[in-house]
Amino acid sequence: MSSVGSSRRPGVDWSAVRVVLARDLGAIKRSKALVLPMLLLPVVLLVLLPASVGMAARGRDLNIERFIQFLPSDLAEPVLGYPQREQLVVLVLGYLVAPLFLIVPLMVSAVTASDTFAGEKERRTLETLLHLPVRDRDLYIAKLLGGFIPATAVSWIGFVLFATISNIVCWPVMHRLFLPTWLWMIVIFWLAPAVAALGLGIMVRVSMRVSNTQEAQQLGGAVVLPLVILAVGQTTSILLRGPGAAFLAGVVVWAIAIFLNVRGARSFTRDRMAARL
Amino acid sequence: MGDQAITCTGLTRRFPSGTALDALTLDARRGEVLALLGPNGAGKTTTMRLLNGVLRPDEGTATVLGLDPWTQGDELRARTGVLTENAGLDERFTALENLELMARLRGIDRTTARRKAGELLERFGMGHRADVKVQGFSTGQRKRVALARALLHDPELLFLDEPTSGLDPAATRAVVDLIGSLAAEQGRTVVLCTHFLGEAGKLANRMAVLFTGKLHAFGTPAELAAGLWSTDEVRLDLAQPASAAVLDGLVALPTVVAAVPTDHGALVRIAERAAVPEVVAVCVANGASVYGVDAKEPTLEDVYFEIEARSDAAHLATAS
Repeated sequence: MSSVGSSRRPGVDWSAVRVVLARDLGAIKRSKALVLPMLLLPVVLLVLLPASVGMAARGRDLNIERFIQFLPSDLAEPVLGYPQREQLVVLVLGYLVAPLFLIVPLMVSAVTASDTFAGEKERRTLETLLHLPVRDRDLYIAKLLGGFIPATAVSWIGFVLFATISNIVCWPVMHRLFLPTWLWMIVIFWLAPAVAALGLGIMVRVSMRVSNTQEAQQLGGAVVLPLVILAVGQTTSILLRGPGAAFLAGVVVWAIAIFLNVRGARSFTRDRMAARL
Repeated sequence: MGDQAITCTGLTRRFPSGTALDALTLDARRGEVLALLGPNGAGKTTTMRLLNGVLRPDEGTATVLGLDPWTQGDELRARTGVLTENAGLDERFTALENLELMARLRGIDRTTARRKAGELLERFGMGHRADVKVQGFSTGQRKRVALARALLHDPELLFLDEPTSGLDPAATRAVVDLIGSLAAEQGRTVVLCTHFLGEAGKLANRMAVLFTGKLHAFGTPAELAAGLWSTDEVRLDLAQPASAAVLDGLVALPTVVAAVPTDHGALVRIAERAAVPEVVAVCVANGASVYGVDAKEPTLEDVYFEIEARSDAAHLATAS
């Protein structure tokens, strides 16, 4: 074990991180108030939506060409290249759902971060942690991972479900496995984790300032919601420009997320946490 | 370091709401129970957090178990155990799981953690509830589990913050007895933050009395009393008011400060307890029958409330 204020900066004590992480993940798993909202949105977005689109696409006279023509030509082109029957599926499940999908990691990270940071204060368990021989930085990393892992796991598992259901329900229309696409792969494995990290960066800073989970979620929501609206609007047009644009969007989100989390780590000190107990 | 478990000088901590601790200087010897006494907001918990390196001071220095709490905080916390005022157990886990997790965070391997947790829960009478979620536990049961948690790594120094608050009398007695036995083990030093004088009186070797962040008195109860009062009070039961001859004989003694008659005898103020036999002898020599002598020593409550009254008076004088 090492000192809090010493000049020595040894590496991360992963055994301590693992135990704090196991504790936090175990606690989240046992809390219905956390698990239910974490599952509800993914079920709607990733199961019900593709199923509905797939069923609608089976309709014989469905023609969305006129709608697509309203899109800027460089964005409409990739969709119009598909047969008419496939255009709805490609447009909605291939492109439009992708930005909505990013709400999942953002929401899950916000819920878990508010529980693992502000929730500790609310349950009055934070002081016990502060009296342990665990360094501030290790505690912060464990708490961060406690939000990041569920958010990423829900996104990835959700995507497997989404792709499976989409391919099954849309098989009569597409006659092939059309998901995952390169765009989706970048959204899921690059952009979604970045969005989760961004949500954590915001929620951690919010949670350190408030005294309970509800306040954290309300204040966090006030910051995160405008971001969601902005992100969904902008991301749709970025994604329609192809995988390269999606990758670049990920770079920008990662940069902001890393900046916020590094600043969060610097302000996460025992003294500051204890002073707010 | 030597015999001292804790030494601190001029320890000061300010918050935006005001000064929580103002130039605290005290020490605790190895193996002693030191009580930090005072009402809510006196600075007891802040002292405990500072001494365990959780808070940093604005001014002052401290050495705890030979370590600097603020540059060697983790080394120190590996050797201390803490019972926080609110037990701090995670309600979503069982008592055993709570203890196991904390043991593992202290670097104890899984098998040993489970064994030690089980043993301590048994010792503290919670073995039968080891696998029950903490959510339904009473305050007393939580305190006992939290005490067990504080001992998982055999700490040399225990910080106990209000260990009996919220407990009924029976649970209070059980917890006080437990703390007494913990203090007696292995020369363990205990810092006890409390505003209950009863438990402090039973457990503490020395006490520090704090009001609004300032230390007003520090020492053994007898030392504190001696600092407050220069005389002791002796109540004599003579079955009738003391005669003039008895009173004259008493005041003639160099160790007697004053003697006044009461309905059943006399109230005598003496300079030292050693004067009591002389007082009795004077009464008998002057024809009085002595039925009882109550050489009343001030209780901890007398001491505490006298310090509080003097503190209030000093505060008022400063304010005016």
